[in-house]
Formats: sequence, structure tokens, C-alpha cells
Amino acid sequence: MLPQNTPANVACSELFTEVSPYAVKKEDGRYIITDGTGSVPVSLVPRPKYYGLKTSTGIPFSKISAFHGSYTVITPSPRCDFFDRGIECRYCAGNFDVKDSGGRVYSVEEVLETVDAILKEGASGIIYLSTGFSQAPDGGIEFLKPYIKAIKKHHNCLVAVETLPPKEDRWIDETYAIGADSVLYNLEIFDKELFEFLCPGREKLIGRRRYMDALERAARIFPNGTVASHLIVGLEPPGSTCMGIDFLTGIGVVPILPIYRPSTGRALRIEPLTTEIIIPVYKHLYRAVKKNRINFNWVRDLSMVTTPLEVRGLVDERDGTKKSIVENFYKSKIGLKTAWGLSTLRRKLRVKDSRDPSDSSGQS
Amino acid sequence: MSVEIDTRPLWIILALKSLRPIFFLLLAILFWYFIKMPSPEGLTAAGQNAIAVFLICLILWVSNMIPLAITSIFAIILVPLLGILTKKETYSLFGNEAVFFILGAFILAGAVMHSGLSNRIALNVIKRYGYSPKRLLLCVFLLAAALSFFMSEHAVAAMLFPMLLELAKSLKLRPGKSNYGKFLFHALSWGCIVGGVATFLGGARVPLAMGILKETTGETIGFLDYTVAVLPLVFILLAVGFMILTVLYPIDVAGVDNAGEVIAKRLKELGKVSFSEYAVGMVLLLTIVGWISLGRTLGLAAVALGSVVILFVLRIVRWKDVEDYVNWGIILMYGGAITLGSALDKSGAAAWLIKGVIGRWSGAPWTIFALVSLLTIFLTEAMSHAAVIAVLLPVVIGMAGKMSVDPVVMTYSVATPAGLAFMLPMSTPANGIAVSSNYITVRDMIKGGLIMAIISWVLFNLMAAFYWPLIGFGRLR
Ligand code: SF4
Repeated sequence: MLPQNTPANVACSELFTEVSPYAVKKEDGRYIITDGTGSVPVSLVPRPKYYGLKTSTGIPFSKISAFHGSYTVITPSPRCDFFDRGIECRYCAGNFDVKDSGGRVYSVEEVLETVDAILKEGASGIIYLSTGFSQAPDGGIEFLKPYIKAIKKHHNCLVAVETLPPKEDRWIDETYAIGADSVLYNLEIFDKELFEFLCPGREKLIGRRRYMDALERAARIFPNGTVASHLIVGLEPPGSTCMGIDFLTGIGVVPILPIYRPSTGRALRIEPLTTEIIIPVYKHLYRAVKKNRINFNWVRDLSMVTTPLEVRGLVDERDGTKKSIVENFYKSKIGLKTAWGLSTLRRKLRVKDSRDPSDSSGQS
Repeated sequence: MSVEIDTRPLWIILALKSLRPIFFLLLAILFWYFIKMPSPEGLTAAGQNAIAVFLICLILWVSNMIPLAITSIFAIILVPLLGILTKKETYSLFGNEAVFFILGAFILAGAVMHSGLSNRIALNVIKRYGYSPKRLLLCVFLLAAALSFFMSEHAVAAMLFPMLLELAKSLKLRPGKSNYGKFLFHALSWGCIVGGVATFLGGARVPLAMGILKETTGETIGFLDYTVAVLPLVFILLAVGFMILTVLYPIDVAGVDNAGEVIAKRLKELGKVSFSEYAVGMVLLLTIVGWISLGRTLGLAAVALGSVVILFVLRIVRWKDVEDYVNWGIILMYGGAITLGSALDKSGAAAWLIKGVIGRWSGAPWTIFALVSLLTIFLTEAMSHAAVIAVLLPVVIGMAGKMSVDPVVMTYSVATPAGLAFMLPMSTPANGIAVSSNYITVRDMIKGGLIMAIISWVLFNLMAAFYWPLIGFGRLR
């Protein structure tokens, strides 16, 4: 079903995988995924070499970054204040619960060294910066600003940013202006009641409405197809997820569908949905994105989640698993450079610094 | 960083961006054409070049394609390059008294603002008049006008400027966007300009005109006679000006009543009047007295700069406290504009324009009066008031003699309109100071200024036709 050469993150160690009908096996020196009746050949993404290296301050790059194939996630401050207040999301895996470890904030230099190593090796072409929750009205973008600026200053690479929706739209404009090529405000759950129940912190301190408004504003500012939001499949009824897909695509946002993976040690117990229930949701995702003419080529190949391009094979009459020339081009090195160039040019045209003297009265 | 994202379709943005090189290319072609075309009769080559430079600079100033100051610098390069004036003359014109007056005004304003005095005055003004935003504007407008009856309008603009800037900040008005901000700074400049024509004391131009009149004809105009003749115009212009501003910039603030608490809190934070506020206030008061009593003999600039020196001698302010308040852009712009005005004058271009226009269109005495006043109003936008009078008045008095028109009446046709420069920031320091606030753009100033210039001209002529005969003055018809 997945197009060729699509990276996928396969859960192996979690408890729920014990009842999975699928298994990854090695046969004649090649890997396959099999359910016992049929099999699909797969290949393992090699562990990047830079994972074995450290920053000049002695921190392993693998600790600062998480390699996901075409993109690498860097979380300079792996902490989420919701945990301190006991209002964390009920489904959260708890990676940002750093009460005990103290939550070391990686410096701009450390992050820059990591990005240097990633790009030098050619491991990924897109750097994905994320934050947990902080109470700042800017949603965390002020914290990420020096990192984005430093990366943009030193490298010609694309930067995606995941923060919380800021309180005011001007921070969204600023997110674009300082160099973010793509932005994610993850709504996670569309159903109002379930959102309130499962995301008490987000509901209390941000509110579902603000997510929607911020996404709408971002979709007006960022290029078509670069604003995205997660809707977790399996935490709400599939019909509700479909309504979320319709809403997001209607305002020009790409819905990204992670599948709910129950975390070991968390109180929330919801059985993961079966493939038969999920497939219609995926089909709906592809059709909605296509109907609203949202660009597929930006948000894709995110190994942990499902993006519209990856489910094309379920719907498209032609062989959806084959990538078009354009799609392959954007995955190539030169394609990434072109995307970066176009994104930079667009920013240059769109962003007006109101202090620019020739745009004002001409006074200093 | 204050950013704005242009959400218009990309093709529109791209088309607009590509207009810039096309604009400069067309401008270069136009300029080339102006300086290469055969000189009209009576106009020297230098005069033709001066007009070409003036037109190009006017287009650049109005279009704001490059900062105003850079256009002025461009003018300073072109004037000697095209042989209009010598290099020495060109650069020395930059050291004009008006330039130094503006410099002094900025430093004084900086000292007043840094001391906190302007903040205190602004907060008290809002507290007193802020319950009605319109009343506050009227108060600023009339205050600027009334003060300009008795002292130089330039000095009034310089004096009120820091207070208004603080006022705009307290009201959180957005520079360049807020209608109220635009209204406020127009009220300052228009109040000063209209008030400045009411008496001999509003500026140097009327005494200069009297001097020329006396020298050429032996006649003169008394202080009271002049004021009685122009006062109705001043009152009507104040009413009309306020109405125009009300229509152009509908008030977009809902009063400051609910800000009352904030203002009270901020006033409390300011505490009692500090020593530096007293000291700066005293120096400012002395400056105003100096402007009124010594302005004519010493010059406004010398008084302003003298006060600046006193501020530093007494260590009331330090350079780093005030240097941010000095708007070098406006100073450069003004210096260049003065150079350009002189280039028009000394190359004979201004005289050629005057003779050409008046000679071609004049017939009956009243048409001469109307034409001269119209020409004065438009020339004064490009040249200093005094320069317009110096260039125009001798020609006009000469023509008056030939056409049997009272030279005294014709003196009014130049002396009064020469003060009515509403359109450009380089026309008069009051406009320059208002634009330096960044609340008004050059385009805003032209929009309102053009309407005001036309209305002023019409009203001035109506007054000459209908009011002057009533007071037994004028032999036009
Ligand atoms: S915002 Fe929610 S999901 Fe994200 S780290 Fe915090 S608690 Fe977890």
C-alpha cells in the first residue's frame, strides 16, 4: 500500500504489539513483514553514523535528535510543564515528563553542531524543531527563535516547527518571518468533549477554538501544504476524525494521522482500531486533501505518522504506490534545494518588516 | 521585530516588485529627456537642469521609492554635477540656518522627552481633555495656531512635538496606521501653518516682504493693518482645516476614559517633578522667551542651539540621552531641499517660471492677483518661504507698477500665501517635524495638503475680493 521507499516506524517493543498478527522477519538475508499468509519485502533504515558522535560539550547527538529518515526531530528543551501541573494529555507517552532528570536545555551551539552532523552525513534534509508546553503567550516560538535563526543562517535546509498555538496571530506571522518553512499545531482530537477530557492542559490553557483559529491563520501565511495538524486515529470515533479531516482541509491545513499507540504504564486504556476501521478514514483523508487542492509534497514521509500522500494507493485509480517524477524530484537532494530556494524566495516576497524605511515614511 | 505578512497573491507581489526597476528606468529616461531637450526661450541651461533635478526629486519624495533623506543627498550630488551651482556653493547651502534650527529643535525635544517632562504634560493633557478624543485634537490644533500668532510657527512645532509624540505613545497609536495619529500630527503642522500667517510674528517672511516693499516703493504695512486684513482667513482656515481632517481621518480611538486608571497609575509612577524636569522646563521656557524676543536679531537657530549648549554645560542631559531623538533623516532631507530651492533661484529657473506663468496668463489685475497667489502657494512647497518672497515679490511689485495695481495689495498676494505650505515635509519645518513622527507619511501630507492648498487659495482670493473692500483696503477691481 505504501509508495516505494517510504520510511515507516514499526512498533516492536510495546505491549500492544504482542497481539499483532504482523511480524518482521529475516529471510535469505532480506527483511520481510508477514502476517503468516503473505509477505512484503522491507529494508531497515541504516542507523545514521552521526548517532555515534557527540557534541563538543560531550552530549551524544542521538540524545539531542531523533532520526526519522527524511527528517530529524530536535527538541532543544524536552520538557512539558503540563506534567508539573498534573494536566498532561492522558494519552501522552511521557517523553517530555522531565521532573526527575531536570530537563537539560540544549544550547543553540549544541543544536547547531547536531544539525551540522546530520546535514554533513546527508541523513535528513528537513530539520523538525519541537517544544513541549510552556506558558509563554508565544506558544514556544520565542524559545525556538534563536535555534531557527541559527540553522537558517548556517544551512540551506528546510525547517519545520511544532509548537503550541500562540495567543496572538502576530506570533504566527513571526514564525514564518524568522524562517520556519512549515508549522504544526497539533489538535490531536477533533471531538469537543473528548478533547476536553483527554487534553485537560491544552483545553484549560489554550482551548480547542484557539487551535482552529491559529491553524486557519497559519494556512493563510505559510505556503500551501506546509501547515499541518495531527489527528490521532483511535482516540475518538472514526466519524469524528473524518469531521476533523474535513474541517482542517477546508481551512487549507494538512491533516496528519498518527495511530494511537497505548503507552506502557499509562492509565488510559483504549484498544487500537483494526485495519478495517482505519482504511475508510485514510481514504477520506486522501480525498479531502485532493478536493481542497492542498499540496501533498511538503508534509510526507513522516515515519511515525500517516500523511495523505502515503494513502494514495488506497484510492487512486492509477498505481498510487508509484511516485510521480515531481514527487521523486522533491525527495532528491536537488529537489530539496529547490524547495528551500522557492520557500526562501516566497518568504522574501511576503514578509514586510514594518521598520523598513522605504516602506514607511522614509524616516529613520 | 515587527513583521507584517503580505497575503496578496504572489503574482501581484511579484508584479509590484518588478515595478521598482521599471520605475527607476523610466525616471532615468525622463531625467535624460529633461536635460537634453532644447532650452525654452529665456531659460538658461543651468535653469533647465535645476528644474529637471527638482522634478526628479519631487517624484522620488512623493513616491517614497527611496528614503526622503537619500533623495536629498541625490539632489546635492546632481546640483554641482550638472553645473547648476558650484560644489562649494552647494555644500555650503547645507549649512543653512533652517537645518540647524531643526537640529536644535530635535535635541531640545530629546532633552524634554528624556527628562520625562513631556510625558508628564501629555498624561495631564489626556487626563484633562481625554474624555473626548475630538476635544483633545481641537485643543492641540488651536493651541498650535494660537501660539503661532505670537512666536515663530517653527518654534511652536518644535515645542509641542515631544508632547504629542508622548501623547501618541500613551494612546498606543500605531505609527503610519492610526487615523488618530495622523489627525494629531496634522493638527500640529496645520495649526502652526495657519496660525503662522496671522501676524508679523509667525515667521520671517512677512517682515522680509515688508522690507522689500519699503525698499522698492517706500510704502509699508502696519502690524495691525496686516493682521486685520488676514485674520478672517485664519479663522475660516482653522474651521475648514479641522473639518477636512475630521473627514480624512475619522477618529479611531474610543476615548481614553477607561485608560483613566492606567494614566493615574503612570502619573503616580512618575512621582513628583524631578530636578531634571524643572531644569529642562526652565531652559525650554527661556528658549521660548528667546525665540520671541531675540529670534529676529539672533535667529531662531542660534537661540535653539544656545539652549542646547546650556543643557550640556549644566549637565542636564548627556549626548547619549538625546542622540536617539535626533532624526538625521529629516535633517538631511531638509538640507537637500534648501539646496534645491537655492538652485532653482540662483540658476534663474524660478524667475523664468514666474515670468512665464504670470506673463502668459495675466490680463486683468484680479487675474494677476489670483495667479501670483497660486504660484506662491505652489512655489512655497518647494522653496523656503523667504526664498519665494525674495524671488517673487520684486517681480510682482515691478509688474504692479506697470499695470497700475496697488503694490501693497500685490505684496499681500505673495507674503500671505508664502506661509501656506501644507503639502510637503520639506516645505516648512512644521511639516518636517510632523512627518518625522512617522505617524504621517508623505502621501498623507500631500493628500490633505493639496486640498488645503486649493481651499486656502480660493478663500484668500474671496477674502481679497469681498472682505478687503469692506475694510476700505485694496484696489483690485
Ligand atoms: S503537550 Fe500533551 S502530548 Fe505533548 S508532551 Fe505535553 S502532555 Fe505530552
